[in-house]
Amino acid sequence: MTEPLIRAQGLTLRYGRKVALDDVSFTIPKGRVVGLLGHNGAGKTSLMKALVGLMPGEGQLNVLGLDPRKQRVALLDRLSYIPDVAILPRWARVEQLITLMTGLHPRFSAERARALIKRTSVSLTDKVKSLSKGMVVQVHLALIAAIDAQVMILDEPTLGLDVLSRKAFYEMLIDEWCDGERSVLISTHQVEEIESLLSDVMMLNEGKLVLSISLEEMDKRFVALSHDPAQAEAMAAAHPLLRYRVQGGSAALFDGLPPEAVQALGQRVRPSLVDLFVALTRAPEMNRTQG
Amino acid sequence: MNRFNTLLQREWMQHQRGWMILLGLPLVLVILAGIFTEMGISVEIDGDTVVKHVPTAAVQAFGSIAGMAAITLGLAWLSALFQAPGLARRDQQDRSIEFWLSLPTGHVPSLGATLLAHLLLLPWAALFVGAAGGLLVSLLVVGKAWGLAAWFGLPWGSLLLGCVVLVLRVAVGIVLATLWISPLILITMAASSWLKRWGVPVVAGVIGGGGLVLDKVYGHTLVWNVLGTLAENAGRALIVADRSGSKGGLAIHSDADVLPFIQGLPTWAMHDLGSALQSLATPAFAGALVVAAAAFALLVLRRQRGA
Repeated sequence: MTEPLIRAQGLTLRYGRKVALDDVSFTIPKGRVVGLLGHNGAGKTSLMKALVGLMPGEGQLNVLGLDPRKQRVALLDRLSYIPDVAILPRWARVEQLITLMTGLHPRFSAERARALIKRTSVSLTDKVKSLSKGMVVQVHLALIAAIDAQVMILDEPTLGLDVLSRKAFYEMLIDEWCDGERSVLISTHQVEEIESLLSDVMMLNEGKLVLSISLEEMDKRFVALSHDPAQAEAMAAAHPLLRYRVQGGSAALFDGLPPEAVQALGQRVRPSLVDLFVALTRAPEMNRTQG
Repeated sequence: MNRFNTLLQREWMQHQRGWMILLGLPLVLVILAGIFTEMGISVEIDGDTVVKHVPTAAVQAFGSIAGMAAITLGLAWLSALFQAPGLARRDQQDRSIEFWLSLPTGHVPSLGATLLAHLLLLPWAALFVGAAGGLLVSLLVVGKAWGLAAWFGLPWGSLLLGCVVLVLRVAVGIVLATLWISPLILITMAASSWLKRWGVPVVAGVIGGGGLVLDKVYGHTLVWNVLGTLAENAGRALIVADRSGSKGGLAIHSDADVLPFIQGLPTWAMHDLGSALQSLATPAFAGALVVAAAAFALLVLRRQRGA
């Protein structure tokens, strides 16, 4: 079995006395596109900062065989990162950013960056401050995608973008960067938009990892039953993770197979990532432990 | 090394417009002033007698070069010192810090490149540009007062050698002077990076207020002594390290002394540099470096913790 690209064991992160991430363990093998989901303040950004060596933590953390805190520069040679509040320097022209990246990043290809930027509506002579937010994000992704890295970490990269810009961003990411060997960890609130891109999902709730699973396993493990509203009481009695409305009726989401008597009352449907996210993170008493 | 050079290149890209204005403006203003006013003529009023004195071409040329270099250097240095506290939070303020932190560059070289570019390379550039611009100004001044032939007839060998040696002496002096005042610069920068807009007022309050309390209430002038030592040594390190009154045989009493003065500059500059270097082997300088290193470590720690 090959060594995972990222391995965290008992990772705890704190801001003073406040625990941002509480005893989290997970691995990310190569070739995966992992969605990191969580409400605001769940610990997503803290985890990503720890992964790139910008936040100290307790426990073990190994990224590409390196300790992020002690070997940050060596790690960033092989890992690319778009932070949540990333703003490219406003004074710079796009061509200047390419020049700087060429000098600062040993695995950056200026030629590839220019080719990727050519596909956008941005010109190499444009100043960052003259670009719209969507254009800036496109430029940033083009720069990052031109790095021959093994892992890409994206912290809410499409925050505040319109739907067209978001679509263009994800298309560029999947078409130009993901090759089956590299892995991406991406956090976002637009769960529905990235569901089809993901191979795995991790869910954080109040600093705890409540789910870390492949979408394949998720489909096998979690069962949603669409049912007639008249069966609502019987469904509730079976203690589903979540009851919610679907087109034309109601549905109940179960961790594992529901009791046989209940199964007969509804029709099995595929639970969406959003429903599962709501089920696992909406209230502390509803949370289930890591899968 | 390539990465460090790129970090320096980044400083140039970001500040080139301001730096070019800063370095070019004094030259433009002096040339304009030279075109529209009578330069190089001093007027002495002795009772009812007005005596017009035109310095020799050599004095005018040397004065133009040295003067322009001094003015341009002074402006650039003052500008760099005033901007230094803001540099500590520059990338946070334009919100690009997360972008820079996402690149594989260490905190020490990133901060080091900024300090080197603003506190050393900019003053050096100002010194050299000022001196070169002074040549142009000398053409204008000497040409207006004595005619172009006088400018071409100047003893250029001695004049240029003297100017080059003087410029090199000041260039080394900039390094030494910056090291002497580095505790003040870096403490202010560190305070600015940790306390944001309150950094400079807090440092000014602590040093100024603390100094006053110690002086007026307890009769200790420790703070003023330390500040005085740093300022005096920085000044000596920059130029004229030996201020005992001995000028190594160099003095100008009349126009006739100018050429021997210029010819004696190389020897004097070497002696002066030796005196400046000697003052580095003192506990005061070691203390200054320790404090500066501690303040730099605080800057690195702040950057390590991100935005």
